[in-house]
Amino acid sequence: MAGQSDPHISLFSAQEVEFLGEDEMVEIVPNMRMDPLNLICGDFGPFRPQIATQVPLWLAVALKKRGKCTIRPPEWMSVEKLTQVLEAERNSLREFQPLPFHYVEIARLLSDHARDDIPDVYMVRSLIEDIRNVRFHKVETGLETIHERTHAVKLKNLSAMEANIVRPFVVRALQAFYKHDSPEMIPQPDTTAIRRRQAADRGPKRDRRY
Amino acid sequence: MKSRSLKLREAHKSSGAASFCSILWDLRAQHLLTSSSNDLSICIHDPLLPSNSPQILRHHRDGVTALALSPNSTCLASGSIDHSVKLYKFPGGEFQTNVTRFTLPIRVISFNRSGSILAAAGDDEGIKLINTIDGSIARVLKGHKGSVTGLAFDPNGEYLASVDSIGTVIQWELHSGTALHILKGIAPDTGSDLSVLNVLSWSPDGETLAVPGLRNDVVMYDRDTAEKLFSLRGDHVQPICFLSWSPNGKYMATAGLDRQILIWDVDQRQDIDRQKFDDRICCMAWKPNGNALAVIDVMGKYGVWESAVPSSMKSPTEDVPSLQSKNSNGLLLFDEDEQEPSASGSLSDLGEDSHGESEPPSRKRLRKQSTYDEDINDDLLSSLPKVESRKKASHSHKESLNNGNEGLKSTSARLKMQEAFQPGATPVQPGKRRFLCYNMLGSITTIEHDGYSHIEIDFHDTGSGPRVPAMTDYFGFTMASLNEHGSVFANPCKGEKNMSTLMYRPFSTWANNSEWSMRFEQEEVKVVALGSAWVAAMTSLNFLRIFTDGGLQRYVISLDGPVVTASGFKDELAVVTHASHCLPSNDQMLEFRVFNISNGTQPLKGHLPLTPGSCLTWFGFSEEGQLSSYDSKGVLRVFTNQFGGSWLPLFSASKEKAEENYWVAGLNMNKLFCIVCKSPDLFPPVMPKPVLTLLDLSFPLATSDLGAETLENEFILKNMHLLQIQQRIEEMAAAGLDTTSLDDEAFNVETALDRCILRLIASCCNGDKIVRATELVKLLSLEKSVKGAIKLVTALKLPNLAERFNSILEERLLNETSRPATLPLTSSNHDACTTPDVVTSKFLTSIQSSKPSQPVIPLPSPQLSSPLFAKKGKLQEGAKVGNEKVEQRRTAIVENIGKVKSLAEVKSIEDVMNQGEASIGEIKNGAVNQRPSNPFAKSSSNQEKSSLFDAIKKMKKVDETGKR
Repeated sequence: MAGQSDPHISLFSAQEVEFLGEDEMVEIVPNMRMDPLNLICGDFGPFRPQIATQVPLWLAVALKKRGKCTIRPPEWMSVEKLTQVLEAERNSLREFQPLPFHYVEIARLLSDHARDDIPDVYMVRSLIEDIRNVRFHKVETGLETIHERTHAVKLKNLSAMEANIVRPFVVRALQAFYKHDSPEMIPQPDTTAIRRRQAADRGPKRDRRY
Repeated sequence: MKSRSLKLREAHKSSGAASFCSILWDLRAQHLLTSSSNDLSICIHDPLLPSNSPQILRHHRDGVTALALSPNSTCLASGSIDHSVKLYKFPGGEFQTNVTRFTLPIRVISFNRSGSILAAAGDDEGIKLINTIDGSIARVLKGHKGSVTGLAFDPNGEYLASVDSIGTVIQWELHSGTALHILKGIAPDTGSDLSVLNVLSWSPDGETLAVPGLRNDVVMYDRDTAEKLFSLRGDHVQPICFLSWSPNGKYMATAGLDRQILIWDVDQRQDIDRQKFDDRICCMAWKPNGNALAVIDVMGKYGVWESAVPSSMKSPTEDVPSLQSKNSNGLLLFDEDEQEPSASGSLSDLGEDSHGESEPPSRKRLRKQSTYDEDINDDLLSSLPKVESRKKASHSHKESLNNGNEGLKSTSARLKMQEAFQPGATPVQPGKRRFLCYNMLGSITTIEHDGYSHIEIDFHDTGSGPRVPAMTDYFGFTMASLNEHGSVFANPCKGEKNMSTLMYRPFSTWANNSEWSMRFEQEEVKVVALGSAWVAAMTSLNFLRIFTDGGLQRYVISLDGPVVTASGFKDELAVVTHASHCLPSNDQMLEFRVFNISNGTQPLKGHLPLTPGSCLTWFGFSEEGQLSSYDSKGVLRVFTNQFGGSWLPLFSASKEKAEENYWVAGLNMNKLFCIVCKSPDLFPPVMPKPVLTLLDLSFPLATSDLGAETLENEFILKNMHLLQIQQRIEEMAAAGLDTTSLDDEAFNVETALDRCILRLIASCCNGDKIVRATELVKLLSLEKSVKGAIKLVTALKLPNLAERFNSILEERLLNETSRPATLPLTSSNHDACTTPDVVTSKFLTSIQSSKPSQPVIPLPSPQLSSPLFAKKGKLQEGAKVGNEKVEQRRTAIVENIGKVKSLAEVKSIEDVMNQGEASIGEIKNGAVNQRPSNPFAKSSSNQEKSSLFDAIKKMKKVDETGKR
């Protein structure tokens, strides 16, 4: 993959995607008492011991690092659910299972910082790894079908990290096909066209987030 | 019919030849066991992660032909071609013992329903019945001519059925060891092919025995007479080599030599699904708790067929007959003798079941659940009569619903006064940690271990709470209470030498060794409670003993009856006692009293109401100090001083989800803090740490014709809050404390209440309940809200109502303007009728000032209301008004009011107040003299002055409404 071999080509670095993923909400159980936090991104809290509340992942991790809360892993992060997802991923060759847009990042952050809060953390981790591999394999095999008549690639339920990795390759491949297909259309490839295409490419993906 | 294929994974290497393989689920479907007669090893797979490599047990020296798990899945037995039967621990897989040896290969082994007997048979003559406790051979059953390939214990524990390779079925009576029925040649003769073994199986209810027939069918035989009942015949084209009943006995899976599996609906005698395979399936097992069938073929490949029964049909685990659940929990106990009476009992039970169309609800529960449930309950009922109280009532209630027999048995026991309990404690569970005390602050937990208990105290707020080291408890404390200053423990007396002891541990103190304990002779502590600087213990002699923080015995008070529970909050101790023996309707007669320890007074006393047929399960104070109770029917009640002291039902669990039970930890003004337990659990475990859930309080309102229950509920709740705050303000004012923060709170609640009322008015108007809307308007506390209401009804095109509202507003304005002049410090709320005795000219003119136009020029009411809108910037009908002068004047007044209003809203009132407080009197005197001229005056300076006066007057009014 182009994106993997050369990290500069992917639009965001892995850290940047993780940063974006940190805005996802998770549930925490604080063990301290604190007034609501009024932040630019919203109001969170109040925090009361043993009473669950929703906060963004970055705040949860920050509190967790200070030993002020336990994080309740999201529902999809149970061994049972992940096993189901993995089976389903393996069984359907064309479709991706619906997982949170930032599932890779969330799982990574939680298993790094809150391993004691996740039951069977090793199992969960290896399952996520498996799911990622299966999905990526699917993406790769799917991209093999790109040929000169392809004008767009539709990938439903693709996650942020996956999209980020394949985006440069797909975009450039499509461009290349387009160019070779109709050389008279584009006398010389100008950068603005590329930008526009990328922007268009990003548009629908962002919609999938919600 | 589906043709999708099931992928099989290799579990055992087949080396090309067909071999007999076995597959088995454990009780909870967490493990899948496989073995093969060509392989030395037994594999324990994780069904969730089939790709993981299985756990392998290699103890046999030749292929494993048979596997069996004890009914509670703690013991695994395997039989092998190497002539031995071995026992293992499960799920650990540690080898335990060679339980028996044969002279020829074993073909089949089976546990009975209670796990006390293991039957093993094979090419030897005779079936060995092995006592699993000591490994002794209880009996050898001889009679088969061929090698025995199938064994099945009757679920009711009376019979054993066996089948051999030449097709003979023998039904043995277990306790005598005689062959009751010998049915020759009813099953196919499998000859010398060792990969095909004849099998047979009892239906889960034990009523029928299924045996593969000679005509590629399954034949059902009657339990007692061994007569042929019916057969399942269909699309198998070769003889059936394996069959398995679904856990509920409604379905059956059969595997034939024709390499297909058929699923049958036994009642319909019709096949409902099928699956073809590459190889012959030689063993199958239904998942005990789900719709899935595990299969293994003769090549050692296994797989799980998910939803073997189409999802449109009843699940194969629904309505599992819960036979002899008492015995199935038994570890490996030899209880053959005890079994018989219960077996016959359940037999008659079963008879009823099969005749009746609808099964009793107890049958609907899963076998596993009911087993555990009843076991725990039985244990508790029999061995621990003290701690069962909170569980018992609801359980006995359930039982009486579920099960006629049990219900009858327990009716005599049910009519019992509730035992004493500690709020926030959970009952004893053997081998598990339990709560002695759980409140909003933290928890005290204990676990018994080697005769001692291990007690831990944890605070929810780990940052600010003191750290308390764990302690070993040699007394066996069963009661405890916790607050921020310390913890108190007590144990019941256990015989002569172990007296009841009360121990207090402060968390932080300046002196060393300030822990203290008290011992009670011939007296037993029943309940303990803690407050600020006092400790209370209620005893079996109906004494209330009060100690100080340091251990000084301060008071001993006699209580009216046996104590039920108690709770402390700051200075107050609330005690619940039995008022009398409970009524024949099984209603507990409880009364409560509240003591103020530091003042030595008893502020409250009365009956404690409960839902009919329930008992008290939690009792305590809300965070604000309101007395509250929760009963076993899930109704929360909060005490109020209204109506001479009453209990308000503020929450009902029956309105929430049915499958959840709420274990109360505390409450505040708006929310109930509780731990949600999934039914049938009534209380939470200590680990994992329970998380509190917030539930909204709500009155059990009737379904009104308005269809706005949430609003009505909010209305009542807000009213209650307002009342509580006002009460506290009064108390604090009486004590001479500053009430400004409470005033603000009251003001906020008032505005929220007004908003709620306005919305209610809107829904009343929409529902055409005009009278109700008028009533609501009278309840509005702010003048602005009344104007809002008028605007609202005008917008809704209800001019009559607007007129009525207007007159209400006028009346209100009249009263309010009259009040500051005459009763500036009145605190009563709706004293609309209190007219001052001295009617001065000032008073009269001030009335005029507030409603100048009414006496002078009577106007039609819609036009009257229009200037009021002008305040909000919506002067619509101004042009139509004939008398422009009057109009202007009124607008000016309204603008004044508006200005003051906005001022009040900005809350600069207090500043102005402080600045001008000293001179208010003077200004008033002066201003009031000028007052009459104010509305009619044209000069700007006058206007200014009067507006200042208005402002101050208004402020006072707002301040007063705030105080209310």
